[in-house]
Amino acid sequence: MRIRVIGVGTRRGDDAAGIAVAEILARQALPAGVTVRICERPGADLIDEMDGADAVVLVDGTRSDHPAGTVRRLRSGEIAAGPALSTHALGVREALGLADALGRLPARVEIVGIEAGDAREGDLSSPVRDALPLAIATVRAVIEETASAGARGT
Amino acid sequence: MTEKRTIEVGALARVEGEGALHLTFEGDRLTDLRLQIYEPPRMFESFSRGRRGAELPDLLARICGICPVAYQMSAVHAVEEAWGVAIEPPIRALRRLYYAGEWIESHLLHMMFLAAPDYLGLDDGFAVAREHRAEVERSLRLRKLGNRMIALLGGRSVNPVGVCVGGFHRIPTRAELSELADELRHARGEAESLLHWFARLPVPRRPQEIELVSLRHGSEYPMNEGRIVSNRGLDIAPAGFDDAFEETQVPHSTALHCRLRGGGSYLVGPLARVLLNREQLSPSAAAALSSLRERFAGADLAASVFARGIEVIEAIDVAMDVIDEYEPPSAPAAPHTPRAGTGHSATEAPRGTLYVKVETDDVGDVRQIRIVPPTSQNQARIEDDLRAFAPGILSLSQDDARRRCEAAIRDYDPCISCSTHFLTLTIARRDASCGSG
Repeated sequence: MRIRVIGVGTRRGDDAAGIAVAEILARQALPAGVTVRICERPGADLIDEMDGADAVVLVDGTRSDHPAGTVRRLRSGEIAAGPALSTHALGVREALGLADALGRLPARVEIVGIEAGDAREGDLSSPVRDALPLAIATVRAVIEETASAGARGT
Repeated sequence: MTEKRTIEVGALARVEGEGALHLTFEGDRLTDLRLQIYEPPRMFESFSRGRRGAELPDLLARICGICPVAYQMSAVHAVEEAWGVAIEPPIRALRRLYYAGEWIESHLLHMMFLAAPDYLGLDDGFAVAREHRAEVERSLRLRKLGNRMIALLGGRSVNPVGVCVGGFHRIPTRAELSELADELRHARGEAESLLHWFARLPVPRRPQEIELVSLRHGSEYPMNEGRIVSNRGLDIAPAGFDDAFEETQVPHSTALHCRLRGGGSYLVGPLARVLLNREQLSPSAAAALSSLRERFAGADLAASVFARGIEVIEAIDVAMDVIDEYEPPSAPAAPHTPRAGTGHSATEAPRGTLYVKVETDDVGDVRQIRIVPPTSQNQARIEDDLRAFAPGILSLSQDDARRRCEAAIRDYDPCISCSTHFLTLTIARRDASCGSG
C-alpha cells in the first residue's frame, strides 16, 4: 500500500508546522511504501502531490479556538469553507474538492492538524515546537492504522 | 404609478476580492448604479514612501497573489528609468518570459475556474471539473507550466522574489531553459485545443462602441514597454499618463475611478490588447484569432475569454522565442547607483495596463509613488457597461438578473484586491405604490 505523508504550509512562523513534521519524518525509518513530501503551494499542486498514492496523510497547521500546539486528527469535512473557488483561496479544502471532482482523490485522506500559535514570521513558536513529537507520533499512528486497514482490504 | 425595483448582489462570486453591485430601477428607468469596492484601502503608496527604491519590486509584488509579476515589472522599470539603469537585451528577453508565465497562469485561472461556469450553466469550478475533466486537467497542466516559468525567474511561483533593479538575482541555466522549451512545445497544442473547446461554448455576444487602451510596441506583442495607445487616436509615452488620464474618488468605492481627460471610460485588458495589437501576434496566435475573427470584428466584451485564450498561445510563443534566441547576459543584473530621479512605467498585467510613477530622492529612497492598476482603470467602464446592459435584465428573475450582471462583470476579470482601491450585487425593484420603496 502506497501511503504518502504530505507536509503542507509555508516556511513562515507556525505555518511551517506541517513542513517541520514532514522533514523530521523524512529523516526517520518509515514502513515500506511510505513516502514523504512537502507542498508549499497547497492549491492545484497538492492534487499532483497526491497522485499515485492509495492513502495520504496531510499534516498542516490549523487555526481554531484550540490552544496553540494542539494536535488533532481531522476529517476533510471539518475544514472550514473558504470563499468561493478563486486563486486567493485555493487552499487544502478546495484542492481536495477539485481532486475529488477530477476523480483523483486517493481512497483514504487523513489530516493531522497542529494548532498554530502567534508566530507569523521566523521560527516556530514554542508551543508548536513542543508539539512536534506528539504530531509525529500521531502521524505514525495514522500510518500504522492506514496500513493495517489496507492489509485487511478495508 | 412607477414600480421601483432594486437588484443587489451582496458579494460578487468568482472575482478576486470583495465587491458589491447595487442597481435601482424606477419603472424601466435605471436610477442608481453603484459598483462598490469595499475592501479596505491598503496604503501601498503611503508605506512605500521612505523605503529604498530597490525594495519596490518586492513590496509591490505583494499587492496581488495572481499578478505579482506585473507589479514587479512596472515597479522595476519605473525605478530603472528614475536611476538611468540600462538593462541588457537578454535580461529584457527573460523579463518577457517571466511575464508570459504570469499571463498563462492568470488567464487559465480566469477562463476555466471563474468564467467557464457561466457558459456551462454550472455553479463553480468543481462542477466544471466533474463534467469536463479532460479540459480542466488540461488547464491545470497549463497553469502549472505558467507557475514553473514564474518560479524559474522569481525563485518561487507564490510571492516571487527574483527581480531586482538591473535584472534578476539569478538567471536560469541553459539546461533549465531547454527543459522548459520541451514543455512549451507540447503546451501550445494544449492551449489551442482548450481555446477550440471554449469556442464551442455558448458564449454570449456583447458588442459595444468603446475606447480601447493598451500598450503598443513597434516590433512585438506588448508586455513590458511601448506607447499607450487607443482605437480613438491616443498615442502617448507612459510619462504622459497624467496628461491623458485622471483618477477621481467616488463615495461608494475604495478604488479610484480612472477616465480619459475630456473623454470617458475606457477598457484595458486582453480584449483591448488583442484588438489593438493583432498584427503583432505570433503566427499561431494570429491563426487562433483568425479562426474566431467574427468575434473580433469589433469590441465584444464577452469575447474577452477568447482574447485570453489567444494570449495564452501568444505567451507560449513569446517564451519559446526567448529561449530559442537566448544568449546569457554578462551579469544577472546591471550595476546601478541609487540616485534622485523620476521614472514612469506602464506594463501589461494580465488584466490590463498597470502604470507606476516613482520619484526618488538623492540616496534613491522613494519620495512619491503612484500605482494605477488595471481594475481601477476598468471600473468606470464596468459601470457604463452595466448602465447600458441593465434595462435588458429587468424582465428576469432576481437570481437570473444577478447571474447576468455577475457574468458581465467577470468579462473584465476584475481584481478587486489590486484595485482597492473593488464586488457584492443589489438590484432594487421596488413598487412605490406598495410603499416598499
